[in-house]
Amino acid sequence: MLEIMQIKDEAYTTITLKGEVDASNSVELDAAIQNAMQSGSKNILVDGNSLEYISSAGLGVFMSYLEDFQESNINFVIFGLNEKVQNVFHILGLDQLIRLVNNRQEALAIIYEA
Amino acid sequence: MFKFPNIHIGKITVILAFFSWIFLLLVDSIRIFGEVNQMDVGVSPQLTHVLEIIFFILVYIFFNDNINKQQNNRFLNLIWRAASTGLVASAFFVASFLFREVLMADTKLAQDEQLKNFSYHVSFALTAVFLISTSLLWKNLILYQRTKSVVQQWQAFEIILLMSMFFMLFVEGSETKYGLTAGIVFIIIYSIILSINLKWIPYLTIREKWKSLLYLFIIIFSAIGLYFQLVDLTPIEELNLVNNLFLMGLFAFVIIYSTSSFLVTLFNLPTSSVFEQKLVEAINFQKLSQSIKPGEDEKRVLDILMDSCMSAAYVDAAWMELHTPENEIKVAHQRFISDQEREDLRATLRETDPFREYLDAGTPSNIEYIYGRINHEAFASVLIFQLKVHNKRIGNIFLVKEVKEGFNKEMIDIISTFVGQACISVENYRLLNEALKNERYKEELEIAKKVQQSLLPSQLHHNDCFEISGFSAAADEVGGDYYETFAYNEDQFALIIGDVSGKGTSAAFNMSQMKGVFHSLVQMNFPPKDFLVKANKALSNCLEKKSFITTTYYFLDTKTKTIHFARAGHCPTLYFQHKTGAGEFLKINGMGLGMVRGEQYEEFLEEGFISYEPGDIMLMYTDGIIEAKNEIGEEFGYERLKATLDQCNGSSAEGIKDMIIDAVYTFIGKQTIPDDDYSLMVVKFIR
Repeated sequence: MLEIMQIKDEAYTTITLKGEVDASNSVELDAAIQNAMQSGSKNILVDGNSLEYISSAGLGVFMSYLEDFQESNINFVIFGLNEKVQNVFHILGLDQLIRLVNNRQEALAIIYEA
Repeated sequence: MFKFPNIHIGKITVILAFFSWIFLLLVDSIRIFGEVNQMDVGVSPQLTHVLEIIFFILVYIFFNDNINKQQNNRFLNLIWRAASTGLVASAFFVASFLFREVLMADTKLAQDEQLKNFSYHVSFALTAVFLISTSLLWKNLILYQRTKSVVQQWQAFEIILLMSMFFMLFVEGSETKYGLTAGIVFIIIYSIILSINLKWIPYLTIREKWKSLLYLFIIIFSAIGLYFQLVDLTPIEELNLVNNLFLMGLFAFVIIYSTSSFLVTLFNLPTSSVFEQKLVEAINFQKLSQSIKPGEDEKRVLDILMDSCMSAAYVDAAWMELHTPENEIKVAHQRFISDQEREDLRATLRETDPFREYLDAGTPSNIEYIYGRINHEAFASVLIFQLKVHNKRIGNIFLVKEVKEGFNKEMIDIISTFVGQACISVENYRLLNEALKNERYKEELEIAKKVQQSLLPSQLHHNDCFEISGFSAAADEVGGDYYETFAYNEDQFALIIGDVSGKGTSAAFNMSQMKGVFHSLVQMNFPPKDFLVKANKALSNCLEKKSFITTTYYFLDTKTKTIHFARAGHCPTLYFQHKTGAGEFLKINGMGLGMVRGEQYEEFLEEGFISYEPGDIMLMYTDGIIEAKNEIGEEFGYERLKATLDQCNGSSAEGIKDMIIDAVYTFIGKQTIPDDDYSLMVVKFIR
């Protein structure tokens, strides 16, 4: 089960993920990111506080946008991942490509710095 | 034991009946001779009566046997048999009358008592045959759709008739006349009661009804004619064969039942078209429900639907529109209307409320049908039904009539049933097709599974210095896990384990690419880190944007007892050191293949190095094992894996593999279906 919420603030768009991302619903995650990019947001935050599990298919979705983020100068930050999920990012090496921070404040700090 | 010879009842009774009749004729001739010559010939009138009774019974047995044997017991056929017998009897009468009164009018022969007697007896026999056979035929009609009470009524009637035969034997003298009258009145009343059993009439078609009216008329006419002729022909008062209760009763019964059938059929004529219509509807309904057979498709079902709807509502024209997948409207069936007229009418409907709204809605409407008046030169009323299959509106059926208010509730109800049934048939047909298609997919997947299983090695390379054992299970038919070994020489080996992102068919394709990359690169004998850099380069060109592969590549040298390895985002290898008695995860930096598709990939890699000792164990696995969940959603996890290995480190590689798999399956429980691929490779160093 995956619930995705998307809130667009003035400076950034927050995508909140609740539940599990697996092969069957990774398309929804893809659509959410696509949507956030099309809305013109230059800062995209992913709230992972309630993300319990992410499969390789879900990680593949994040990975597939890395180039686009770079090209469009979009800041993409994931925050609040629990230890287990963060470990998955770490083992794969994805934490070296995506900025992972502990909480919303840290994420916002990165955005305002930039 | 005594055995009855297989005798033919029909033939025997005919012969016996004939002889009894000859005997009767003989006896009566003697009596007439005595009467005419005023002599006592010593033949009792009772003998005539007894012979008469025997004759009646034999004729009854013959026809009872004969009619039951007849296969073709259609109503009209039964009535025709009765009518034809009546015709034959009447014809003989007319012939004998003509013979006596016209041909031989002036001769002595016409006045001859014996000749008259002979013709009287023939007529009597024919009449008896006609009445008895007709009564038995009527029995079949009365007992059509029988109930217990009707059967009892009929049996009682047969007993009454049997008793009436013997009436003349016991009642004599002046009582005869009153007794006869009373008996006849009783039989008439009973016949009237039996005559209400006319359930067969509605089942005749209108054509058959006309025919049966004619036949019934012949029967009534013959019966009445025969009666009066027989009475008229009686040679002498003392020798009146007709004047017995049985024959008179039969006359009454045959005439009463025929008359009531005649009248009921006559009054049924105007409503018979409605009954026929209902019958046609029932048959159409049956046709619709049976129309889905192998080889019959949607088109055929819709064709039957069109015909059924049209005949149910007596419409003047009709057509059917189907929505194609491209949202175009296609006219599928068109009856009694030209293209031009149809388009005109369609345009009118498009402009008329409420039809416009009903037709515009592409989605299924809550309203099943809509009908009303239209402003069109040729047609005045229209009825539109939507065709709904799988909750989708596949089209509409249009029925139009030239008269206003042409559709009533009964018609709409029956059409609604037809449409419902047809839609179910179409739905079933589509489901069946889908099921067949799925079956084909399954077969293809089965083939893919076999192909993929052949991609995993059946034998893993090793030498005396180490044991090796592998296992792989896919969650779907095909999976994305991969492991393999390669032997450079007696001492040097390459090992690889990998996991393709995602699962199922797409993962399986990428896995086979990975195998190709491994086999081409392993020959070059690159150090592990270089191997991964090259593999990343090769795969970057062929992996989808969202796909990546995690892998760990090992180079094992049993001479120097060293392992060099590099990790591309794969789960860290679990290494058990015999010396410390505990396992640990070899966490070196790494990055999945295909995640960074450029030169800088190399920067994310690190190379690990181990010097192994006998008793050490290296466990390679995929994330499916770590992420295997039990019923309450708990993961197997790294710690459980480590603990399991720590416990079974004394076993052989094969044993360790089995125990770990056993632990994982026990953990997830029998009820849980694995949702990821599990793979595992165990290396145990012996020396």
